[in-house]
Amino acid sequence: MKIPYSWLKDYVALESDAADVAADMVRLGHEVEGIEQPRQGVLGVRVGHILSKVSHPDADKLSLLKVDIGEAEPLGIVCGASNMDVGDKVPVATIGTTLPNGLTIKQGKIRGETSFGMCCSEMELGLAEEASGLLILSADAPVGAEMGEYLGLEKAVFDLSITPNRGDCMNVRGLARDLAADANLPLAAHDSKAVPAEAGVGTPAVAIEAQDDCPLYLGRRIEGVRVADAPAWIASRLIAAGQRPVNGIVDVLNYIMLDMGQPMHAFDADTLKGAVTIRSANDGEKFDALDGREVTLAAGDLAVSDEAGVIALAGIMGSMPSGVTGTTSNILLEAAFFRPARVSLTRRRLAMVSEASMRFERGIDPAMVEAAMQRATRMIVELFGGQAGEIKVCGDAAYGQAGRTLECSMGKLESRLGVTISESVDDVLRRMGFALTREGDALHVGIPSFRHDVSIPEDMSEEYARIIGFDAIPAALPPLAASRPAKADRAVHTAVAAGFVQVVGYAFIAPNEQRLFTAPDDNDIVLANPISEDMAVMRRSMWPGLLKIARHNLNRQQPGVALVEQGRTYCKSADGHSEDNAIAWLLTGEMQRDAWHGAAREADFFDLKGAVEGWLQAQGLSGRFLAEEIPGLQAGQSAKILVGRAAVGLIGRVDAGIAAGFDIVRPVFVAVIDLDALPAGKRQKFVALPEFPGVERDLVFLFDKDVVAEEIVQTVTKVGGNLLTEARIFDRYAGKGVPEGKVSLGIRFSLQDGKRTLTQEDSDTASRAIVKAMDSRFGATLRA
Amino acid sequence: MSDIDAMKAQLDEIRQQALDAFAAAEDSDALQALKVKYLGKKGELTGVLKGVGGLSVEDRPRIGQVVNRIKAELEQAIEASSSVLEAKAGEARVAAERIDVSLPGRNRPRGALHPVQQGLDEMAAIFEHLGFEIAEGPEIETEFHNFDALNIPPEHPARAMHDTFFLRDTEDDEPMLLRTHTSPVQIRAMQRFVAEGHEPPLAVVAPGRVYRCDSDVTHSPMFHQVEVFKVDRDVSMAHLKGVLQYFLSAYFEKEVPIRLRPHYFPFTEPSAEVDIGCVFCSGKGCRICKGSGWLEVLGSGMIHPNVLRSVDIDTSIYSGFAFGLGVERLVMLKHGIPDLRLFFENDVRFLRRMGA
Repeated sequence: MKIPYSWLKDYVALESDAADVAADMVRLGHEVEGIEQPRQGVLGVRVGHILSKVSHPDADKLSLLKVDIGEAEPLGIVCGASNMDVGDKVPVATIGTTLPNGLTIKQGKIRGETSFGMCCSEMELGLAEEASGLLILSADAPVGAEMGEYLGLEKAVFDLSITPNRGDCMNVRGLARDLAADANLPLAAHDSKAVPAEAGVGTPAVAIEAQDDCPLYLGRRIEGVRVADAPAWIASRLIAAGQRPVNGIVDVLNYIMLDMGQPMHAFDADTLKGAVTIRSANDGEKFDALDGREVTLAAGDLAVSDEAGVIALAGIMGSMPSGVTGTTSNILLEAAFFRPARVSLTRRRLAMVSEASMRFERGIDPAMVEAAMQRATRMIVELFGGQAGEIKVCGDAAYGQAGRTLECSMGKLESRLGVTISESVDDVLRRMGFALTREGDALHVGIPSFRHDVSIPEDMSEEYARIIGFDAIPAALPPLAASRPAKADRAVHTAVAAGFVQVVGYAFIAPNEQRLFTAPDDNDIVLANPISEDMAVMRRSMWPGLLKIARHNLNRQQPGVALVEQGRTYCKSADGHSEDNAIAWLLTGEMQRDAWHGAAREADFFDLKGAVEGWLQAQGLSGRFLAEEIPGLQAGQSAKILVGRAAVGLIGRVDAGIAAGFDIVRPVFVAVIDLDALPAGKRQKFVALPEFPGVERDLVFLFDKDVVAEEIVQTVTKVGGNLLTEARIFDRYAGKGVPEGKVSLGIRFSLQDGKRTLTQEDSDTASRAIVKAMDSRFGATLRA
Repeated sequence: MSDIDAMKAQLDEIRQQALDAFAAAEDSDALQALKVKYLGKKGELTGVLKGVGGLSVEDRPRIGQVVNRIKAELEQAIEASSSVLEAKAGEARVAAERIDVSLPGRNRPRGALHPVQQGLDEMAAIFEHLGFEIAEGPEIETEFHNFDALNIPPEHPARAMHDTFFLRDTEDDEPMLLRTHTSPVQIRAMQRFVAEGHEPPLAVVAPGRVYRCDSDVTHSPMFHQVEVFKVDRDVSMAHLKGVLQYFLSAYFEKEVPIRLRPHYFPFTEPSAEVDIGCVFCSGKGCRICKGSGWLEVLGSGMIHPNVLRSVDIDTSIYSGFAFGLGVERLVMLKHGIPDLRLFFENDVRFLRRMGA
């Protein structure tokens, strides 16, 4: 909301700089987003009088002007406009002026003719969004005057962001009241002297059906008005406040709303059919809104209607056909109190916002309804003629004015703020409209009719806080209780320590990305109002997001990426929906770059498998990798990951076609671990270090090519005897010297006894058992 | 010349030859061969001794002495030559094994923690230090937890300030949404706490992802917040200020001035926006703080009694403070990161640099 400083001064005699006033507003809880300085913005633009005009010798469309700006010599100006004549008064930007559009005027030659300034249009002065020629000023404009002063541009306009609880400050007088109270200055009264009814002007037929939603409605006819433009002082204030003048009647009502906070409406009385009723709308009822939309109402919406249909959506917008136009002569003025929640629900459902609805849904001052009606009547009659009739008062004329009260404990208020509150602060609140009496610890509060936000004692703590200022509250640490620190979640940290870069992907992805790794079913969680179709469903896999991030980086000359993300995946479930915690990896491209000690190496399945194994180990777990076909992963290079019997994850190479869809041609490997499915890791128990040396033996066998390494190791472990501590495949070779269909695998096993040094016989026994088992189980032969 | 003299002369000659040969030996293998040649069982010295039988009985021990003396001398000489050769060989090996230490080491590329993760870790550590416990909550929320319980009824204007993502037809009993802030964790943590039969004090820090239906240069549809609250007897605004002051100075690793401005949030009363003295210009005024010397960092206040009542905490006994902060915002300020979008673009060059 924009409020010119000069307008505030109508109500309170402030004298400080605008910046100081803004600081006061901030302290009182009214956020100032900026201070505009329209007058400063056109400093250096002066009223000029065109003395002569000739065509530019070298350009048809340019004119050479001599313009008097009140200096000893007239200025020579080259001008491209065509709508001016000798004798016209025009704005002239002098050398050195910077216009609101950023253009700085310099002395310059245009096609050989020197120009000592620039004649301006409304657009160039920042007064209009477009213009077709120079702004021609009235003949009596004083030559040489600063344009800002001549046009009455504001020196300072506050751009405020009023919080939703302070509807009472969404108008000049309300804000002035806060400032006056704070500065201990008097607040000027507004003019609301009654305009007596003229005999012969009818009283409108108005009735309220929906009393709960409309406790008070005032209607008044004014007959015989001649609608014209609002006078300049009203129009320029509206423009400074960010509004567009419409016609005199509407402008007066908008002026009153900005000034006093009461939104009003005027109907063209001659368009209305029969009596006016304020009622709940019928479901499906249509309404032609003033903004050109046709909207469909629902039961419960509050409608102002005549006998033909809805003429206004109460508190939000009038109808197109019933609006006041330049030819209107009889009007029906409306001033009312509509229930805030009603206005809010309707305007939210219809996505309609108006200056009126913003005020009604925050709650207006019921005491202002009649005052605004009187003031509007007076201004309209004075400016546009006409005769006003009797005010028709529907509902409770005293609604909301009796004043609510509140009982507080000063001790509690003080303990909530952590500071003592001196009685002098009460005076400020009294000037803000509160009636306060202290009686020992008790504080009796009379709440002013415009403060809908105050209803409980805690609300008073806020009032006191903003008066005394948060700076006056000391900073103190509360008594600290020790808490048992949660076991830190180190999942992602472990992966990072292994060389992966942590990324954060969006939780929503495109529906077609969802299908890459998840078969279609009804379990996608879909957003009703996504930012875009690309972010329409909640992810069930983190892999599409990782692939997008990989593409982004590979496109930026990264030779390879190793990514990890910890986050949630989302899925519908029998009892609603589930959010699952997971960690996912992606590995592609060069694991190692070309170096002086070795050639570059592309990542493969075992690089990622090793990373996942290492990660599991860090959790105190060990995993098994079982070959399995997995949607979206390449058959033969994919596995499910088990810890004990629990399936905890998946790993594999992304299907080449899917990778190509992300513009990735090199092999891409992904893995995921479901953190919720992961059993708790074992805490390692102490084991005494061996006192006696162990032995290691290598055995190399020829196996069938399709043998599963894990099964070999399991068998070795089973038959190797109770001294065997470890067995692993340390060598694999197929090629020259190995028959077709065979593979040579080297097995290294370790033996250890805690009580003695091992003998040759120990390792021979184990070797014999292993050789025998390899033969009987796998048909493998020992290589020489 | 007597036999003994002739033998002595012969021994002298052998001695001299041997000494010369030892000195000229090029490596320890050659030296070893010379040792055998001169001192071995079938060596030259022994060979000379074979002629001792022709000497008189008196002369034999004399020659024996001479031989022993020469033997000792030669052994010493071999020892000396051997050390020289070993030293030489050592030097040669060192020379041969000389490397260019300026060549790059064999390293695996480092990983990197995302800057948001680092921020979350740092913040959690500070609050844990102050005795706050960590809690988490669902990202898919009910309207009750996200709004109603936080004193934002359906018709409340503040509801419109949250650009909320809603879910389409889930199996849930009520409309579901993506939480717009981490404040619903406040409700859930207090509900659980009360349901378990506890009485305050309760001090919780709740980090997590939040969602707003808004995307432009300064808004991301997904970002991170940390909600912090404490409920106890006699909790006051002064405590809120104390915790804010402690936290912000600890997080920015320097004393930062703070300023509270009255504001409005439905779930706190009084409510305050919190500014810190601009960390870029130390409050002198710069482009980033738009000349004001202050940067808005978070919203805070004393928990509204309606919020405590919604979870059955007795407001006549207990009060509390709460604040919620935007993680990305604070990380940007701490590290001078100019653009919110960098966090979600996940360019590894950026992540590696910030992940140090």
